[in-house]
Amino acid sequence: MSRPSTTLRVAATAALVAAAACSDGTRSTGPEPAPVLRTAQAPDVGSLARTVPGFGGLFLDHGVPTVYLTDVSKRAAAERALSGFAQSRGFGPGEIRVLQGRYAYGDLDGWFQAVSYEAFAQGGVVFVDLDEAANRVLVGVERGASHANIRGLAARLGVPAEALVVRETDPIVYAATLQDQVRPVVAGLQINFGNFLCSIGFNAVSGGQNSFVTASHCTNHQGGVEGTQYFQSLASQANSFIGTEVDDPVYQRNLTPQCPKGKLCRFSDASRAAYAPGVSFTLGGIAQTSGPNNGSLTITGSFNITSEANAIVGDVANKVGRTTGWTQGMVTNTCVNTGVSGTRIVQLCQTFVSAGVGAGDSGSDVFGQTGGSSVRLLGILWGGNSQGTQFVYSPIGNVEQELGPLTTF
Amino acid sequence: MTVTVTVLAPDSVRRGEPVPITLRLTNTGKEPENVYLTGRSITFDIIIARADGEIVWRRLEHATGEQILQVKTLAPGETLELKDRWRQRTNAGAAVPSGDYTVTGIIPTDREPLRTAPVRLRITP
Repeated sequence: MSRPSTTLRVAATAALVAAAACSDGTRSTGPEPAPVLRTAQAPDVGSLARTVPGFGGLFLDHGVPTVYLTDVSKRAAAERALSGFAQSRGFGPGEIRVLQGRYAYGDLDGWFQAVSYEAFAQGGVVFVDLDEAANRVLVGVERGASHANIRGLAARLGVPAEALVVRETDPIVYAATLQDQVRPVVAGLQINFGNFLCSIGFNAVSGGQNSFVTASHCTNHQGGVEGTQYFQSLASQANSFIGTEVDDPVYQRNLTPQCPKGKLCRFSDASRAAYAPGVSFTLGGIAQTSGPNNGSLTITGSFNITSEANAIVGDVANKVGRTTGWTQGMVTNTCVNTGVSGTRIVQLCQTFVSAGVGAGDSGSDVFGQTGGSSVRLLGILWGGNSQGTQFVYSPIGNVEQELGPLTTF
Repeated sequence: MTVTVTVLAPDSVRRGEPVPITLRLTNTGKEPENVYLTGRSITFDIIIARADGEIVWRRLEHATGEQILQVKTLAPGETLELKDRWRQRTNAGAAVPSGDYTVTGIIPTDREPLRTAPVRLRITP
């Protein structure tokens, strides 16, 4: 939890403290006095530390007001100070739970302040907390970070070893969306070139070159390499240049006997861009939102590509893209020769999925879930119907047939 | 948003004549406006319906379009025009009879599509 300094807390609640002190003389005789602290707000811990001897922390344990005292015989003082709060929660003063505390709140607060001031200078510290529910100072560190460093620091600061808990935790990041600038770069994020927006399909290594794959039509010219420059998420942002188009086979007449008369064909709408030096990316990483088909664009985690596959009719396919986020649906058709509206292009042997899509999702990753965060890569999304209820993608086999072997995880 | 979208079509045409239809996207404000449109060449839909509301032709019926998003900046007063012709055929290819129809334009964006108010079209014998 976050907390203001003890000094500020005391100043803000001086009136309540005074009222609590005045009630002491009437507590033991006559009818039950009206509670002094009739408030649903949690009492100020600074005030409690001053008025309840040995106070070590207040919290709700499954809804029950619970307090640590270093001397449990001082229960009556805790009941007086907390009666209003307890009643506002539906409990009488006698129902307040008292636990044996080891450390007084004032000591814990001092240690907390001291550790917090120093600890963030060390790598891997995520948070420092005065843990009221444990009567300890809690330090959260990233996985793999040194516990010993924190313990050594605490010892130097005079914090008893038993008063400190060090726990591994996930790093806390800003709630970014698929349309924000995100590093390391993962699939599903928005990319910008010229006055167009698309999505990243997947990261890949090709012939030792760090790369990402997106749609061929998400280049300056669909088919053929023109050195399209990509920005994530917008060219107008600082440090947003991420890479340059390096591979985009041209569309051809008579590519195969399958290519319809008068049309230009390819087996994939895919191109590859080389990452600029210094741009961080996660091989196999796909941005994950809170759930499929819920419209959220907020990134909550990541999927990890662990294999590649071709889908068959009836498989469930997913995509994550900058416009409609994570969508999921059934594969309805495979190996479909697909004419592209408003062009002479026919994409050969494509896959249809009954799932949401919108403008800007071009280039998105398409994948199947295999359990947990692991996914198998299926291909690159490039098209959809006008209602936004069906997307079309190029299977990964077609993509690698045209762009060459790719290491994708 | 100070961008308006309208559809222009003749009030009346003779049966069998191609019908010119124009969608107009206009920035009526005093500041430049970014509009987010679909496709390398801008995708737009036209719906022709009978007087009873039954759709007889839809420009993007069964079309598969590239899902690229184009950011177009319209200067104050600037108009973007999108044009096509309807050949008085249903999506199945049959000629439509004379009578009263409505014409509606739709411009997909990365959010809700921009939709015109319908205008009337009379096909005379």
